[in-house]
Amino acid sequence: MKIEIYKLANRLKLRMGARFQKQEEGFLAEDSIEEANKLIAQLCSICPEVTGQHLEGIIALWAKMKDMPASPERSDTAQKIFTLAHEIKDMGGLCGYELIAYFAESLRDYIGRTDLNMKAQVVIIQAHVDAMQIVHKQGVKKNAGPEAEELKKMVKMAIDKYH
Amino acid sequence: MPIFEKKPLPYDLSNFTILVVEDSEHMQTLITSMLKVFGVGEILACTNAKEAIDLLTILQASKKSKYLKNVDIVLTDWLMPKGNGEELLSWIRGNEKDTIRFLPVIVISGYTTEYIAIKTRDLGANETLVKPISGTSLAGRICSVIDNPRPYVKAPHYFGPDRRRQDIPFAGMERRIAETEIVQIKKSVE
Repeated sequence: MKIEIYKLANRLKLRMGARFQKQEEGFLAEDSIEEANKLIAQLCSICPEVTGQHLEGIIALWAKMKDMPASPERSDTAQKIFTLAHEIKDMGGLCGYELIAYFAESLRDYIGRTDLNMKAQVVIIQAHVDAMQIVHKQGVKKNAGPEAEELKKMVKMAIDKYH
Repeated sequence: MPIFEKKPLPYDLSNFTILVVEDSEHMQTLITSMLKVFGVGEILACTNAKEAIDLLTILQASKKSKYLKNVDIVLTDWLMPKGNGEELLSWIRGNEKDTIRFLPVIVISGYTTEYIAIKTRDLGANETLVKPISGTSLAGRICSVIDNPRPYVKAPHYFGPDRRRQDIPFAGMERRIAETEIVQIKKSVE
């Protein structure tokens, strides 16, 4: 067995010029990191609105998909729901909306690993959509507490029963 | 004791070109804006692996142009419709052009499973950044790629940065079944 090891010149350091060549560990300016964190905060200020739009998108797609026969179109619609759920998860996770991110992740993973034409999907996806709507309407952030546990239990029951 | 102690300077990324591959419009805007405030000179953005592959191919083909710069770092999301991070990473590491196959790749993943960590490592990602991202975590990964350029290893079933992050001599018995011939190559990629 032949193994080749390529030791390359540090091109990225070369790009920055001679003054950084001897510096072993570098860093980015602290104020730029603070500025970057402010950008995250800015995005998070519109998180409920964006999440609401994505949720509406999921509901509309779901209404269409529910009664569709097994077909490529149904799989395509499920893929769109998958993408929207993934976006809700990303944004919710970024902005501290843990509970909606939890349900969005659960929905995304469920769609990702399931035969998209199964009848049981109807109940399980509906349970996720209902839970996400409640969380969004009530503005619940934390993935803890009696309300969160109750909603999680509802979704888990649907998954356990129909999966 | 020196009278004037030289203070280390923050990295200057103004000569860098970073390619961001992210399907979500909001996340793409956020990451590119963060890179802008970090002082990155040029930021290119694509929404999926296919677009990114096309762009890297064009940049490679026209590398003599003074207007088009080669990409220095790729930041890619893992899960994307129409070409995901896995496809992009496999294409980059499998490319015959040195300017592409040695590209540092930072994978941004919303999945936190061990499977993804192993998968990205085995496909040759230099770093993995788990969502949710922050200014500190993004800056940290960029600095890590600059500070710790691991040697690249070409084995029968792997090409990418050395998966061992530390070079610790092994004192135990040699148990490898196949005889290994290690060839060291020094290469300058530009």
